[in-house]
Amino acid sequence: MAVAPIEFPPPVDAAAEFIGPPTDAEDERIEVGVAIVGGGQAGMACAIRLLQLLEDDPELAESLGEVPVAVIEKGRVAGAHQLSGGVMNPTPLRQLFADDDSWPHFGEVGRETVYFMLNRKRALPLKPTPPPFRNHGNFVVSVAELNRWLGERAEEAGAYVLSETVGAKLLVEDGERSGDEASGRGRIVGVRTGDKGRDKDGGRKSNFEPGADVVARATVLAEGCWGHLTGAALKRLGLAAKDPQVWALGVKEVWEVEQPLDRVIHTLGWPLRPQSKFKEFGGSWIYPMNRAGETPRVSIGFVVGLDHADARLSVHDVLQEFKLHPLVRRILTGGKRVAWGAKAIPEGGYWAMPRLHAPGMVICGDGGGMVNVPKLKGIHYAIRSGMLAAETLYSSLKAGSTDFSSYERAVHQSEIGKDLYESRNMKQPFGRGLIVGGAITNAMVVTKGRLPGGHWPTHRDSDQPLLLTDRDKRYPKPDGKYTFDKLSSVFTTGNATRDDAPSHIRIQQRVPRELAEAWKWMCPAAVYEVPEDAPQGSEHVDLLVNPSNCVQCGAITAKGGRLTPPEGGDGPVYQVT
Amino acid sequence: MSAILVYALHYDGAFNKNSLGAVSEGSRLAEELGSECHAVVVGDKAGLPDELCASLGRYGARRVFRVEGPEGLAQPVVDAMARVIGEQGHGYALFGGGLLGFEIGAGLTARLDAGVCMEVTSVRVEDGKLVSERPILGDSSVSDVHYRAGVGVIIGRLNAFEVTESGDQDAVVEDVALEFEPHSLRAKMVSRGEQRGADVNIEDAKVLIAGGRGLGKAEGFQALEDLAGAFGGAVAATRAVVDAGWYSYSAQIGQTGKTVAPKLYLAAGISGAIQHKVGMQGSENIVAINKDANAPIFEFSDLGIVGDLNKIVPKLTEAVKARKGG
Repeated sequence: MAVAPIEFPPPVDAAAEFIGPPTDAEDERIEVGVAIVGGGQAGMACAIRLLQLLEDDPELAESLGEVPVAVIEKGRVAGAHQLSGGVMNPTPLRQLFADDDSWPHFGEVGRETVYFMLNRKRALPLKPTPPPFRNHGNFVVSVAELNRWLGERAEEAGAYVLSETVGAKLLVEDGERSGDEASGRGRIVGVRTGDKGRDKDGGRKSNFEPGADVVARATVLAEGCWGHLTGAALKRLGLAAKDPQVWALGVKEVWEVEQPLDRVIHTLGWPLRPQSKFKEFGGSWIYPMNRAGETPRVSIGFVVGLDHADARLSVHDVLQEFKLHPLVRRILTGGKRVAWGAKAIPEGGYWAMPRLHAPGMVICGDGGGMVNVPKLKGIHYAIRSGMLAAETLYSSLKAGSTDFSSYERAVHQSEIGKDLYESRNMKQPFGRGLIVGGAITNAMVVTKGRLPGGHWPTHRDSDQPLLLTDRDKRYPKPDGKYTFDKLSSVFTTGNATRDDAPSHIRIQQRVPRELAEAWKWMCPAAVYEVPEDAPQGSEHVDLLVNPSNCVQCGAITAKGGRLTPPEGGDGPVYQVT
Repeated sequence: MSAILVYALHYDGAFNKNSLGAVSEGSRLAEELGSECHAVVVGDKAGLPDELCASLGRYGARRVFRVEGPEGLAQPVVDAMARVIGEQGHGYALFGGGLLGFEIGAGLTARLDAGVCMEVTSVRVEDGKLVSERPILGDSSVSDVHYRAGVGVIIGRLNAFEVTESGDQDAVVEDVALEFEPHSLRAKMVSRGEQRGADVNIEDAKVLIAGGRGLGKAEGFQALEDLAGAFGGAVAATRAVVDAGWYSYSAQIGQTGKTVAPKLYLAAGISGAIQHKVGMQGSENIVAINKDANAPIFEFSDLGIVGDLNKIVPKLTEAVKARKGG
């Protein structure tokens, strides 16, 4: 019998554990106006837009207290956990900064080519460039860098950026007391930050610092792709969409190269396998990162949907395999890898978008599923949703209300709702294999989603039964110069997760070998190991877990486990990803 | 030219190894700058006889400023160094690392409004000035730190500076009389003990026998302890085995553990991932035993043995014992 990860759910009840009433005494709580969880593009855009509005309204600003806007960021600095392929539609950012175009980028996209990789030697350029891949007017950026810039702007505008701080628990006041419209599920009143200085067994070390209740008039969940609190809120507050959220995993490298790359490249096909039984949906990008006075760089990465079937599929190793193609070698040879990272991407699209508000709370960006999969875009939706959230919060708070439902309407009326509706069924057909799926999707693109229409449902990534093949035999043996193993890759992220801390990864132990191997191969950071002396065959396996390698990509949450945030400040320190 | 002042910590009639490393490094740099390296010692006069102080000359110090005061506490040393720098105009203050060095260096920086860089692994001379190199981002890159302020404070990472005997002259010992600041005398030394409760301080051991997951089980460490005992060294461990509960955290080497640089580092059943390598790559001689000939550790070991460590380690212990006995 084939095993699916969903049969071995993680030992966690998110709705109970990560949501609850405030526990600090009332005079010990930290009071802020608006608490934004997550200092990514969505969170920072929300903070900046809100402070722009408050600047012209000192009365409301004053009523929000000493700290009108606080951004709670788990990374060591703003941008430390940010990673993206890196092509951005600049429209919302330009609207946010009407008279400041100093945001960091690597220039506007010029030429672009899409290749279908036939095999390990040959590539076929697709001409004309398929419409979703056209990037005219878009810019190559590094979100790790862009976010540092956004963080500085937010602080200049008066935001309190609490870095190295985790939003560990969503604070809720019970339904009767709030008297709000959304039934008896309660009103969100802030977040509790994470404890620091616990030992492996959860005991208190000498430097133990408890978290604190941060109570707020409004709470913005802008947590990114694997939203810790967002996931819990969806369950507890009944916000989940018709379809479950699904994810892809992207692994990225940044290379310094001898010759500047002159175009944006996307590829489909090899090294992924086209047969529908493997469900390998994905592709690559190679983007130029050229800036005067700097060594030319390229961003290269590979993305594969996490509903793939083969337990031995490893996106990190697929990327290494992909780099062996002559097309890629021509670009990278003579260069040097300078960065690496990984991140999950919500790919459920329109049908998986949750309700984006609850009393006292809104959800922005990736956490709200705002990614356009066929166009490979999400950064500008994150910025747009943050701005729209700020505008709703501003007018609602001014009216003394914590009903933020108009934010949801605003999102669906913006380009976010419009684009995502058009592409609502575009990923699902690829479950039928690349050729058939590609044909159906092309029909959708041409008709702006009207044909074949309807609702193509999605299944959870963890529902997919697992296969064991010898996929891994194809991965190159890392040479440490051109192809790399997982551990040395993690090292380049500057990851320094404390290793005597409690594990932040919740998985079931004693699982079938297929599942143990699926986690091991899936994880780009070598967090899961199947012990050498583990039983073969049908006997169940205990995994070795190395939480301190974790770069918090979120893939485990998609594939049958549950990631929670580790201690604030732990994890990678991405610079140019 | 800017002279360099080093704090030398002593205990029980001997100088700390890191302090001697700092004096050696200070002397090397001073020579390149065309200046001199001096040392400050603070303590009970009886514990700081002339010969002991003068012996710092062997590591290149020309003058030693001896201050009578409480031993092993940070603030009195800050007072002493601030006074000596104020009178003698040193351009740099250098510390060998360790918690006391960090504390004194930080205090001195605040007192003098100086520039500071800590966790320094290497110092070089550039255009007649010192430049500190400090690994950043979990040791994945190195940043160069230049000093703009009048005095530059350099605090080394533990074991960053090698002890080298470069001179045969005694240093000139000068007593400095000093009124300590009132707040400097408020802390009292209650007792001095081993760092972090470890039985053996692996950072000071000349021979380290380190075990990894290749040992197979916690009991595998017994053979390593026997071998370390024969050598008169200490046992260290990788993160993986500390994680697995096979050995204590105080013995952990690597990115998130301790950094060591013994004369001999014997790695038993350690694959040698970069996270481990950064904690021990400064070792003088690296010997690796691993059954996997492709293990990365063989790429940076001086001697590699592909084989079963359960057979090799006991034989090695016997051989060392025989050699020492005979």
